Amino acid sequence: MGLDRRAFLGLVAGGTVGIMFTPVPWKLIDDASIWTQNWPWIPKVPKGQIDYVTTTSKLCPAGEGLKIMRVAGNPVSAGGNPDHPLSRGGVSALARSEVYMLYSPARIKSPMKRNGKTFAPITWEQALIEMAEKLGAAKGSVASISGDATGTVNEVLTALVGKLGSAGTFMMPGEATSAAKALKLMGAQGQAGYDFENADTVLVLGADIFETWGTSTRNRKAFGATRPAGTKPASNYIYVGPTRNNTAAVCDQWIPASAADLGVVALGIAWHLLKAGATSTAPGFDTFKAVVNGGYGPEDVKRATGIGGDVLAGIAKTLMASKASLVVTGSPFGQGMGAAPVIAGMSLNMLLGRVNKPGGVFMLPELASVVPGALSRAAMLDGDLPAFLKGVESGKTPAPKALLVYDANPAYGLPEAATMAKALEKIPFKVSFSSFMDETAALCDLVLPNSLPLERYDDVVTPYGSGFCLYSLVRPIQKPIYDTKTSADVLLALARKLSIDLKFDNFQQVLKEKVASLSKASGGFVAKDVMPWQVAAGKPAPALVGGDLWKALEAGYAWTMVGQVAQTGMGFASEVVAKAVKAGKPAAGATLAPYAQLRTGTPATGIPCQDLTTVPDTELLGETTLVRLNSETAKTLGLKKGQMVKLSAAGVDCQAKVHIFESVMTGMVSAPLGFGHTAFDYFSQGKGANYLSLMAVAEEPGSGMSTWIASEVKIA
Amino acid sequence: MSGQKKEFPITWGMVIDIDKCTGCGACMASCQTENNVEPQREASNKLRATSWMTVYELTNDKAYPDHDIAYLPRPCQQCGNPPCVSVCPVIATEKNENGGIVSQVYPRCIGCRYCVAACPYHVRYFGWFDPVWPEGMEKTLSPLTSVRPRGVVEKCSFCHHRWTLAKDAARAAGKDPEDLDDGAYVTSCVQNCPSGALAFGDLKNPKHKVHELIKSPYAYRLLERLGTDTQVYYISRREWVRKLGDNYLKSE
Repeated sequence: MGLDRRAFLGLVAGGTVGIMFTPVPWKLIDDASIWTQNWPWIPKVPKGQIDYVTTTSKLCPAGEGLKIMRVAGNPVSAGGNPDHPLSRGGVSALARSEVYMLYSPARIKSPMKRNGKTFAPITWEQALIEMAEKLGAAKGSVASISGDATGTVNEVLTALVGKLGSAGTFMMPGEATSAAKALKLMGAQGQAGYDFENADTVLVLGADIFETWGTSTRNRKAFGATRPAGTKPASNYIYVGPTRNNTAAVCDQWIPASAADLGVVALGIAWHLLKAGATSTAPGFDTFKAVVNGGYGPEDVKRATGIGGDVLAGIAKTLMASKASLVVTGSPFGQGMGAAPVIAGMSLNMLLGRVNKPGGVFMLPELASVVPGALSRAAMLDGDLPAFLKGVESGKTPAPKALLVYDANPAYGLPEAATMAKALEKIPFKVSFSSFMDETAALCDLVLPNSLPLERYDDVVTPYGSGFCLYSLVRPIQKPIYDTKTSADVLLALARKLSIDLKFDNFQQVLKEKVASLSKASGGFVAKDVMPWQVAAGKPAPALVGGDLWKALEAGYAWTMVGQVAQTGMGFASEVVAKAVKAGKPAAGATLAPYAQLRTGTPATGIPCQDLTTVPDTELLGETTLVRLNSETAKTLGLKKGQMVKLSAAGVDCQAKVHIFESVMTGMVSAPLGFGHTAFDYFSQGKGANYLSLMAVAEEPGSGMSTWIASEVKIA
Repeated sequence: MSGQKKEFPITWGMVIDIDKCTGCGACMASCQTENNVEPQREASNKLRATSWMTVYELTNDKAYPDHDIAYLPRPCQQCGNPPCVSVCPVIATEKNENGGIVSQVYPRCIGCRYCVAACPYHVRYFGWFDPVWPEGMEKTLSPLTSVRPRGVVEKCSFCHHRWTLAKDAARAAGKDPEDLDDGAYVTSCVQNCPSGALAFGDLKNPKHKVHELIKSPYAYRLLERLGTDTQVYYISRREWVRKLGDNYLKSE
């Protein structure tokens, strides 16, 4: 049987019609379009029940309360907790990183022991035996460095080191160090707390209050609340400093002044206040007045700083005319300021009668210690780490036999970093409790990784700058991902192994005892319906009801207390002021004016990977960081936009690209900190230079404190 | 373009107070993780980096000491007359849903990038490579936003998934999902801004704060003279900042 033409055409026509009506080709096309987009190597998003839990940020020094979104019990993102007084819903770029930093490539995944130039994993038991043996042998010569400025873990650390025989217990230097030294020299008691919420005029001397100084997220919330969008602001912020930094960018006025001259500016304003009749009954007032009138008149200040008398007179007038003025002094990059400028700034608060007043400075009491033998925060802040390490490096100070480093990275985060690293090398046995493989951990003999804040119990106790006493709980919301432990638990276990009685078996017990002690403190309350600044302004403090404070803290609320230490002998410390407040010497090359930002992390965190995108290409371009100088400075130094230069000081060279930026004082080179890591992961390593290593440490006359506020650099 | 403009009963909009923005980058960091944008090791190369929300630095172009700066956070402007929509050959980007949010449908996108070229605000990003998260970090991906493969264009969606969640929450509470309370739906950047510089709401709803804010004499929009009719407003008391919002002649 043959296929004739008619049959063939019939078959083709029938087939075509059949194909038109069958779903097969359409289904195949649909499947093809789906399967060509079903790429198994693209990560799938997690599925499961969404819920929210609260905790407090420990990675961010601003101590914000966090609201963590979880999916099927796993944390996926961190936002601000609207019920927390240090957050009010806001969160810094660093605090936002708490969740994904759990999986940072820089994390240390198990305890490790140095083996030549590398590390080999060991068990926790082996680590404890090794540590007990070495520390037992080092008794009487054990030092510690803590980078945690707010945790009760410091009580455990200092008590243990004290019982082992301390060669020094140090905090990483910061704003709190300068402030504590200043208050000590003034004869004041307590920790300075700044009531931004109730202030109407804020004079900021150097401090980057909206970025790295103190409770910066809370500071910004307080600032924003007095500035409803599109209407006249209800507050007046004046910034004095070398650059129009993130704080100055939103202030009503920027007055350019070198960071080295901030004390002179403060005394220049004091001269106008005294002229207008400001007085004080505080000890040393007459000497202070004589010092100010003798060398800080308008002409003197203009000669020293370039700021006209009319400008300072205007500031003094504004401060006196306002109902609630506040003067805040700090370093534009969060460290290195001596005590004298802080004393000079605090003197303005005293002349204006703003100490222990709403909208002013409160001298906050320190919360009671619970670990026997622990050092107080004030005592810890009294240590001078750069001076100690420089002494060790030069041989003037005997090197301790052992060093415990907790949440700190002194090999990177101190001035003259090369000198500090050399000093660390002289210490025969070093233990790092870092969560990340940082520059200091890389130098240590044992690395015992701390669980990250989302994996452990911890706390935040009255961060420096907070206008009220505060206690906020950090709680684990997931099990440790790697073989890490809470360092405080490791220290307590070590104490037991060494037969040292620290009263507690684990850190959770310490925290529960701390919380129990808060329940007994009079005036404390859970900030919920009433916030502490409202109490400072006169609203009655709610009673601490219920008694189960721990539960309230676990629910994300903070315990707060508005109160102050009555000052019996707070004076002007004029002898320190007279010796130390001098104008900075004009630099032959240029003066380095560093700035720091939370988006590049802290020395202990490195750059959080997702935050790298937030760094503009005027700060980091490719692998090179940019330094900022104005066109006049560039012309004087013969530099052009985009030119590669070498910055030299303190025996160190740093590469940089020139960025012409007119909001930098003439003669200054503004440089970003937080770059130039040699450790951590590929998000931090090799990105730019560490300009902090160029800063030279000097001793402040009068206080003897180490300072590194404005160093001279050569640019070629 | 104005002839084609669609009106919606709800018009979600953002108001950004430039005078309060410190340029800290918290909004950018919030956006990255909320919307599953991968961490980028070459993030300083801005031609390659993806950042749905970007903070620009503005200056008044004067020399020291008269120099002034401001920071301008830039999400998708959600134009009333979106130039990206009219050029899309496959209807991967549309403006046809109540709320006025310009959509981006990834499975439809063919990666031609006409929309990238058409957008005058540079809010659109093309994925040249497959996204990669450091090992384990994919566990922190948000379940609310899909992960995009290479070869498609992506952009800010005003955290559209949060609107869905807010509507669900309203339904559960027995409220009208089409009449959300002020603050019931806000984007991630708005929620986390530490300075409170960003506000979000229904521009047409008198009960929402943004409804009043956009009437401020200091409020303006970017490149208004293009007729894009954006749903993002900026506020600054500084005239030089407002003037940078469009290409004005020296005589204007």
